[in-house]
Amino acid sequence: MSILFTISKPPALGLLESCQSIIEGSDALLLLEDGVYYSLREDLIRPLGRIPIYCLEEDLLARGLAEKTFELIQQVNYERFVKLCTEYSKVVSWF
Amino acid sequence: MPRPDRGFCLSPAVKFAVVVYSSPASSQAAASAYQFVRTLLNEGHELYRLFFIADGVENANRLTVTPQDETNLPQQWHGLITKYKLDSVACVSSAIRRGILTPEEADRHNLDAHTLLDSTEIAGLGQLIDAAVNADRLVHFG
Amino acid sequence: MATKAQTFIFLSRSAPYGSHRSQLCLDAVLAAAVFEQTVHYIFLDDGVYQLLKEQDASAINRKTLGKTLQSLELYGVNQVYVDGESLNYRGLGTQDLLLPATEINAPGIRLLLRNADHVFNL
Repeated sequence: MSILFTISKPPALGLLESCQSIIEGSDALLLLEDGVYYSLREDLIRPLGRIPIYCLEEDLLARGLAEKTFELIQQVNYERFVKLCTEYSKVVSWF
Repeated sequence: MPRPDRGFCLSPAVKFAVVVYSSPASSQAAASAYQFVRTLLNEGHELYRLFFIADGVENANRLTVTPQDETNLPQQWHGLITKYKLDSVACVSSAIRRGILTPEEADRHNLDAHTLLDSTEIAGLGQLIDAAVNADRLVHFG
Repeated sequence: MATKAQTFIFLSRSAPYGSHRSQLCLDAVLAAAVFEQTVHYIFLDDGVYQLLKEQDASAINRKTLGKTLQSLELYGVNQVYVDGESLNYRGLGTQDLLLPATEINAPGIRLLLRNADHVFNL
């Protein structure tokens, strides 16, 4: 029943604020495209607690962010992104 | 990358459906969807249907021209769809509004050009609901 | 189409008219209803603006979205929800709405999402 949430727009659009009250302990969040800018926002990510936070490596690299993430962020490639989609019972995308 | 042998793999093949809402020229989402689909097929999973909707129908515009040093995403999609014989659908109401037409639609509306890549079909939203119902995972890119 | 109805959640999060997302969501809702799936239609964030009374989009040469929303029941869509917090945040209440949507909160949405087969989020 756990859900993989994805966010693909930058923090200014407030999508994390919109979905964080729906996220539960067994869920995970994957950031891609401009969503990877959340990796600079420890203040917004840390309150999510212990859920896994994944960030798409290709999008971090493209934006010069690969070395700038903090310890809660797990970098994943497209292979892992696909695998995560199979591991959670559904994918809910915020864009 | 070698294709994993599913016979010995712990995670079985999963049937995906992918919905694309954005055009190649306006957002990264279309390119992300392409990478995602390419990867899932490489990993031995199945794509039940690719569904282009709203501005996403531009991904199947056969008249797209890109500068030489940029990738032509509609041509890339066309190659992938053809290679894997994917079921690729553009939402009819989104498509005709944007001038993405099959030869039949062009004739019907008395227009002189057809613009849809022939690897993609035109169909109604019922095909999207059908994709959701029959796929194991529905993934949206917008 | 599968014989057994599945549960579809539609999260409609965009204001009407400025973009076509609200109409797209509505079209998908109607398609799911026509194919006899179970539909939960949830309005949240700026999506609650779609439910405001007295819309008249003829002023901008468009079809009035609110009118179609009022006829949802004819299409068999009768599980319509509005997020209370999204209303409050925008200084709105259920008295401002053009249809009797069930007020829902985050835990309620969470529960619906978990039990659903598919989620569309526009």
